[in-house]
Amino acid sequence: MVPVDMYLVLATVMFTCGIVGIMARRNLIMVLMSIELMLNAVNIVFVAASRAVNNLDGQIMVFFIITVAACEAAVGLAMVIALYRKYGRIDTNFLRMLRG
Amino acid sequence: MTELLVFHALAGLITLCSIMVVASRNPVTSAVFLVVDLFCVAGLYAQMDAHFVAAIQVLVYAGAIVVLFMFVIMLLNLEPETMQGFRVSAPEVGILLVTIVGFIGVAVTMVLGGPSGANGGMTPEVIEQAGGNTFAVGMVLFTRYLWPFELASILILLAIVASVVIAKKDKPAAKDGAVAGKRSLTNGAR
Repeated sequence: MVPVDMYLVLATVMFTCGIVGIMARRNLIMVLMSIELMLNAVNIVFVAASRAVNNLDGQIMVFFIITVAACEAAVGLAMVIALYRKYGRIDTNFLRMLRG
Repeated sequence: MTELLVFHALAGLITLCSIMVVASRNPVTSAVFLVVDLFCVAGLYAQMDAHFVAAIQVLVYAGAIVVLFMFVIMLLNLEPETMQGFRVSAPEVGILLVTIVGFIGVAVTMVLGGPSGANGGMTPEVIEQAGGNTFAVGMVLFTRYLWPFELASILILLAIVASVVIAKKDKPAAKDGAVAGKRSLTNGAR
């Protein structure tokens, strides 16, 4: 049985990749993909912990996280399409109207 | 021993693909690497005896979400992003450090004083006797988590309506003149 801290190391690497993607990329679609990476990292931790403590609640939580991720992707991509139609670009350097 | 080997292979692939998702310039390449990444995560779930979650991962993530990403990337017809200088501000470095420290904290907590493997009750033998992982998860999902499950369906309904409303074409009587030039999406799609 693989010890649980190895899963945590893997999830840390994956989550850090997601955060670096959000910080470095200027394409809104890439930002959404990085969010998916981060959600997956958290899911790995949930399942690993669920197996470590012999409790199925973690897997149920992953089920709900996947549901929310699907909704988030659908609404986010709809917003990307609306923004592209309005401004012609989805550059996060350009889309800073809410930044005050 | 085999389990450890499988874990290391999948973990290496996941790390590689995660880096490639973030690092590749073309969004289509990123999406393809994301598919490989999600499949490897599904394999990791299967290796952890979470078969139901692995199936859901393949169906929903690799089957639906990434296809949605692909559709939007190809619909918008974006050119590869020019990698300008990677300027990181101080708050962003702070967020990154807090993330890594938080994960390390969780790891230390779990390794030192945390799960012993005897406190849950759903041991692999119990799950096997109950009829497999999917059956056990279903029993928990439809008894203790029935109300959140129903709320999830309402959430999905809201997301459907919201995405249709947001991505809908504007009324042609919109009176803003500033955006008139940039209307055409692709040739013939709209």
